[in-house]
Amino acid sequence: MKRYFYNIWETITTLMIGLGVTFGHLLRIRKGNVTLQYPEERWPQPQREIGFNLDRYNVIRSRLHVDIDDCIGCLQCSRACPVDCIKIEFVKVDKGLDIGTTSNDTKKRLLVTRFDIDMTECCFCNLCTYPCPEDCIYMTGGPNSRKHPIDYEYSTYDRSDLIFRFSNVDPDQVARLTGQNELKVGGK
Amino acid sequence: MGVNKTEEMVLNIGPQHPSTHGVLRLKVQTDGEIVTSVTPVIGYLHRCFEKHCENITYQQVIPFVDRCDYIASMNNDFGYVLAVEKLLGIEVPEKVEYIRVIMAEMNRIASHLLALGTFGLDVGAFTPFLYMFRDRERILDLFELTCGARLLYNYMWVGGLSHDIPVGFVEKTYEFLDYFEPQIDEYNNILTFNKIFIERTADVGILPVDVAINFGVTGPNLRGSGLRWDLRKDETYSIYDRFDFNVPVGQGIKGSVGDSWDRYWVRVEEMRECVKIIRQALDMMPRDGDVKAAVPKRIRPPQGAIYSRSETPRGELGFYILSDGKPKPFRLKMRSPAFTALSVLSEISQGWMISDVLAILGSLDIVLGEIDR
Ligand code: SF4
Ligand code: SF4
Repeated sequence: MKRYFYNIWETITTLMIGLGVTFGHLLRIRKGNVTLQYPEERWPQPQREIGFNLDRYNVIRSRLHVDIDDCIGCLQCSRACPVDCIKIEFVKVDKGLDIGTTSNDTKKRLLVTRFDIDMTECCFCNLCTYPCPEDCIYMTGGPNSRKHPIDYEYSTYDRSDLIFRFSNVDPDQVARLTGQNELKVGGK
Repeated sequence: MGVNKTEEMVLNIGPQHPSTHGVLRLKVQTDGEIVTSVTPVIGYLHRCFEKHCENITYQQVIPFVDRCDYIASMNNDFGYVLAVEKLLGIEVPEKVEYIRVIMAEMNRIASHLLALGTFGLDVGAFTPFLYMFRDRERILDLFELTCGARLLYNYMWVGGLSHDIPVGFVEKTYEFLDYFEPQIDEYNNILTFNKIFIERTADVGILPVDVAINFGVTGPNLRGSGLRWDLRKDETYSIYDRFDFNVPVGQGIKGSVGDSWDRYWVRVEEMRECVKIIRQALDMMPRDGDVKAAVPKRIRPPQGAIYSRSETPRGELGFYILSDGKPKPFRLKMRSPAFTALSVLSEISQGWMISDVLAILGSLDIVLGEIDR
C-alpha cells in the first residue's frame, strides 16, 4: 500500500521536474533552438577564413568543379576515386604543337576530350582533390568561392543534369590539332 | 500460463518501421501479447563491403568504412587506420594521436546522443529526442568546420589526417564542452529519472553477464551487465593510457543489473567520461606539428595478416586484414559489434510484451549499416 502511494508521488514529482525543463526552454528560446524557415533562412555555412593557405585549403563537400583549362589529363583524380565516377579521355597532340600552359606554367601535352563527373555516383569523399598536381579539381564554395561560388541548393529537376561535362574541346579542334581524323583516345 | 494459451501468431515488425532503427525485419512469434520468439531478418542493407574492399586500395576503403557505422564514422575510421598502420608498422605524430582521440570521443558523444534520443522515442518520449539532436548538431557543426562533412568524414587517413584542425577549433570545442556538461543533467531530469521511463525500461530485458559474454556482446551493452571491460582501458590503443577516466558499469540502480535502464545509464555516464577525455586531450595536445608527416605516398603493406580492435560507441570493432603485398587488401573482415548485440535480442526478449521488445531493441543501440555491411 505504501509502495502504491510512493509510486504515484514519484510519478508526479518526476513528471513535474521534466515539465519544468521543457517550460524553462519555452521561456528562453535561444537562437538555434527553433526550426529554420528554410527558403527564407539558410543554415549558416561554417566560417572558412580559418588560417590556412586558402589556395590549398579544400575543406568543403559540395559540387566538384574542374578548371578544365588547367587540366593536364594526368588521370590522378580518376585513379583516386573509389567509385570511378570521373571519366576522362584524352588525345595526344603532335610534338611541336603548342596547346598552351596551365596556371602553374606546366606545358600541356594532352588534349582532354572528355571530362565527365557523375555527381549522382560521387560519395563526396574529397579524395580526388588531393592528388591533382595542378589544383584544378576542387569542391565549389568556401575558399574557392572567388573562383567558383557555392551551389547551395545543388538540385536539379532531372537526374541527368547531375552529370557534369567539363571538356570544352570540339571534334573539329581535335582533328585540326592532331592532324588525324581517326582519334586515338586514351584514358579511363 | 497453460490454460490461457492462445493460438500463436507471427507478427512482422519492419523492414519499414521507425523503431527498428534502419531496415531490419523482426519476425515475432506471439502468444497473445507475450512474445515467444524473435527472429531478426537482416541483409536489407547489404552492400558487399568486404568483397568490395578487395578491389580498391587501402586509402579508398576509408569512405566505405565510414558508411558501415554511419553514426560513428570517426570511430570506424580510427579502428581501420589503426589496423593498417599496425600492418605497415608506422608511427603517427603526437598531434595526430591527440586529434584522433578528440574526434573519436566527440563522435562517441554524438552517437550516444542519437542512441539515447531514439531509445526515448521508442518508449514514447519525444522531447528528449529533440533536445539531444539539437546538441548533437553542435558536434556535427564542429566536424563540418574541420573536415567539411557532417556525417561521413573520411578525415582520418592512414598515417595521419586529411588536414589539420582549423584555427579556433580548440576554443569552440571548449565552448561546446562547457555548454554540454550541464545538458547531461537536463537529460537526466527530463528522461532518465522520469518514473514512466523507469517503469518502461527497468527490469526489462535483463541481459545476464554470462549470456552477454557467450554471445560476444561488447561495449555499453556488456558494461550495462556489470562487467568492467573497455578496450580503451584494458587493451589500450593509441594514447588512451594517458588519460584519466572511469569505465561506468551498470549497477542495477532502478531495477536489476543488466536491464534496459542500465544499458541506457551506462551511455549517459560514458558521455561524462568522454567530456573528461576531450578536456584532457585538448589541454595536452601539442599546438603545432604536421598532421600529414607520416602519410605514406603509396600504401603497400608487406605480406601478412593483422587483427586490430578498438572500442567504438557500440563495442568492439575489429578489422582482420590479409595482405599479399599488393596495394589492395587480399581479404578484409570486419567484426561488427552491433551484429553480436542484435544476435542476443532473441535470447533476452522471450516472455516480454511486444512493446517491450522494441524497448529492448532500442536499448541495444544497433546500426544496420554495420550489421549488414
Ligand atoms: S569526391 Fe570522391 S567519389 Fe566524388 S569524384 Fe571525388 S573521389 Fe570520386
Ligand atoms: S588530377 Fe587534375 S590535372 Fe590530373 S586529370 Fe585530374 S583534374 Fe586534370
